Amino acid sequence: MSRKPYVREVPKTTWFLKQSRYQHYMLHEISSIFVAIYTGILIVGLFRLAQGPEAWNGWLAAVTSPIGIVFHVLAFVFALLHTTSWFKAVPQAMRIQRGESFVPGNLIVGVHYGVWAAVSVVVLLLAGVA
Amino acid sequence: MARSAKAVPWFLFAAGGTVIAFILPVMIFVTGLAPAVGLFGDALSYETMQAFVGNWLIKLILLGVIVLAAWHAAHRLRVCAHDFGIRADHTVAIVVYSVAAIATAATIIALLMI
Repeated sequence: MSRKPYVREVPKTTWFLKQSRYQHYMLHEISSIFVAIYTGILIVGLFRLAQGPEAWNGWLAAVTSPIGIVFHVLAFVFALLHTTSWFKAVPQAMRIQRGESFVPGNLIVGVHYGVWAAVSVVVLLLAGVA
Repeated sequence: MARSAKAVPWFLFAAGGTVIAFILPVMIFVTGLAPAVGLFGDALSYETMQAFVGNWLIKLILLGVIVLAAWHAAHRLRVCAHDFGIRADHTVAIVVYSVAAIATAATIIALLMI
């Protein structure tokens, strides 16, 4: 009963580079790094806001520095990637039954995009009007 | 059936993913991109922001968004570490969830200071 099962060697750190599906998955994974850093920037911003005008202006200067701009552009792109791939997965995660049948996935996704647009407009109005 | 503590991080992960999907792009635009190009004038000036964040409703919303984003990112970074070949899940989990806990406490403290 000696069996030697075949174990396919998979490189631990570069396994995703060979297939475009895996590359896309990893791209989505990497978006979490940007979410984490941006969250940190926001928390620091709140502390700076509490510390007074000078501290707050220092934070603003950092955000609008070249490195700050590059980071925020990347973070924005990755945030969009997160939103679109999260919405794409919604029909799998959220099954809504109406009577005998399920609400079609396209409708659920569509509603999500609608709410997304509404939330974005509200935040923009708050920022523009404030 | 054995009870599992997985429900807690899973809920925070799912709720966080949903909340940031809706709000993060526009938030990054307003706090990160708009000031760089001078959009919205002095919307991010100290006085405006003090008044804006001073509102308890805004504080509650910011707390919800930041805390959920932190826990969502922590859970995803844990998976990310595994995908990049780091096979020390227990240690990674302790690190990322600790950072998320610290971020939660820091957010509460900062909001109380404003």
